[in-house]
Amino acid sequence: MNDAIQNEIIEEFDGLEWFDKYSLLISFGKKLKPMDEEFKTEDNSISGCQSKVWVRSYNKDGKLSFDLDSDAMITKGIIALVAKVVNDRYPQEILNADLYFIDKIGLKSNLSPARSNGLESIINRIKEVATNEANSNDLKN
Amino acid sequence: MKDLANDFPILEQKVYGKRLVYLDNAATTQKPNSVIDTISDYYRTDNSNIHRGAHYLSEVSSERYEEARKKVSDFIGARNSSEVTFTSGTTGSINQVARSLGPSLRGKEVLVTGVEHHSNIVPWQLAGATVNAIPMDEDCNLLIDSMEITNKTKLIAIAHVSNVLGCVNEIKEITEIAKDHDIPVLVDAAQSIQHLPLDVKDIGCDFLAFSGHKMYASTGVGVLYTSDRFSDITPAIGGGGMIDRVSLDKTTYLDPPLRFEAGTPDIAGAISISAAIDHMQKIGMDKIKKHEQEVYSYSRDRLLEMDNVTVYGNTNEMCGAISFNLDNIHHYDTGLILDKMGVAVRTGHHCAQPLMGSLGIEGTVRASFALYNTKEDVDMLIEGIEKVEMMYK
Ligand SMILES: Cc1ncc(COP(=O)(O)O)c(C=O)c1O
Repeated sequence: MNDAIQNEIIEEFDGLEWFDKYSLLISFGKKLKPMDEEFKTEDNSISGCQSKVWVRSYNKDGKLSFDLDSDAMITKGIIALVAKVVNDRYPQEILNADLYFIDKIGLKSNLSPARSNGLESIINRIKEVATNEANSNDLKN
Repeated sequence: MKDLANDFPILEQKVYGKRLVYLDNAATTQKPNSVIDTISDYYRTDNSNIHRGAHYLSEVSSERYEEARKKVSDFIGARNSSEVTFTSGTTGSINQVARSLGPSLRGKEVLVTGVEHHSNIVPWQLAGATVNAIPMDEDCNLLIDSMEITNKTKLIAIAHVSNVLGCVNEIKEITEIAKDHDIPVLVDAAQSIQHLPLDVKDIGCDFLAFSGHKMYASTGVGVLYTSDRFSDITPAIGGGGMIDRVSLDKTTYLDPPLRFEAGTPDIAGAISISAAIDHMQKIGMDKIKKHEQEVYSYSRDRLLEMDNVTVYGNTNEMCGAISFNLDNIHHYDTGLILDKMGVAVRTGHHCAQPLMGSLGIEGTVRASFALYNTKEDVDMLIEGIEKVEMMYK
């Protein structure tokens, strides 16, 4: 599906030292549109992360998009990439997605298990939303 | 004092190609060769269950275990080594007291401080007590004059040193007041036992808890000092090794220390605490304190010098941990970048959410020191922080 986007990201990070990787993530984080304060609710937040993360989803013409935010900039950079890969996709596409870029750009191995669990909870939440959407689409059809 | 790190093999390694600067000692300390060797030698030559078998090895291991108890007892100035029991750690020790005193705490009050670790809050809540904090000022000085003891107050349970801020609480003043009201005092010494010379008689507490792994010994073992005054409290945990006679109708218990040590304890762990005490005493607790004070003050001065850094807590005496945040930079980001520079710190709420609440923050970056840290380590921390700031420019 969106492998082109993932491959583009991988290329962008290829060969970078950690300092440049984090700088890049920080710049992505800074560019990510902040979520309105009113939506940063308990319901929209994800536990299991060292930093706070909020997730909202939209359905436009059957395609899903995610609005993500975090109080930590590096986390924000990572979720900006996740959003880039999963946004504007059909639920089934998201469910089938293999987000291999995380491993490939060295984020998985750079993050301790506890930390990558945080990332894992974010991806789980996204898949959960996609599952619910896919199921409700089934019901409608 | 630089050579002190030489006894700790783990510190020789490089992480991400950089010298490891280990500043997460409040979470756990590294182990000297003498402790590592003691543990492996125990399993190589002495391993056996204690107080049970009528055979040679059982004699040897029982003796070593009891020697460890005596060593701890002398180290903390207990009157009698029967006042020392081995537990699974500070958390285990505090829960044990909470369970033993449970019936007298239900519906009553336990007074703590505003800087407690969750493990000195939750056990009291589980026992059915209300937990209230002795007031403190903005700098986290306890306002002991405003401490309110009522007829509902059944216990005072206080950290000696904050695991987040490094503030040393004036526990002696508190035990003196408690004595006037005949209220027992538990001291959480998890963050003081490795930094300050301690004497339970001088402190005047009834219970004192600490962990082996934060004082250069192994994980999963700790100590609970229970003053003789409480030698007859109900044991929290029942099982083998702690009973006098068991029948299905009625069971009677042994006297302390065995009364409080049901089941097979962490024998190697207890012996490792003894080896860790030897290690510290060989250097000298006063010398450790002096050296650590120098490094600690230096870190505080360096951090306070920085324009965009907020340092939390400011009390007369401080040791161990120092907490800070960089303006407009999340503690987690700071920690991630420091990690890549080989500087190991902890970030987050440090199991002290009530304190985070009073400081009005989500978390901090915490650097915490041990006897092997040096001013050069602090310089690396500061260099790391400067790098973090640069990356956010
Ligand atoms: C002040 C304090 N109390 C209790 C604990 C709990 O210690 P343990 O996890 O070893 O039981 C800690 C550990 O972080 C601590 O710093």
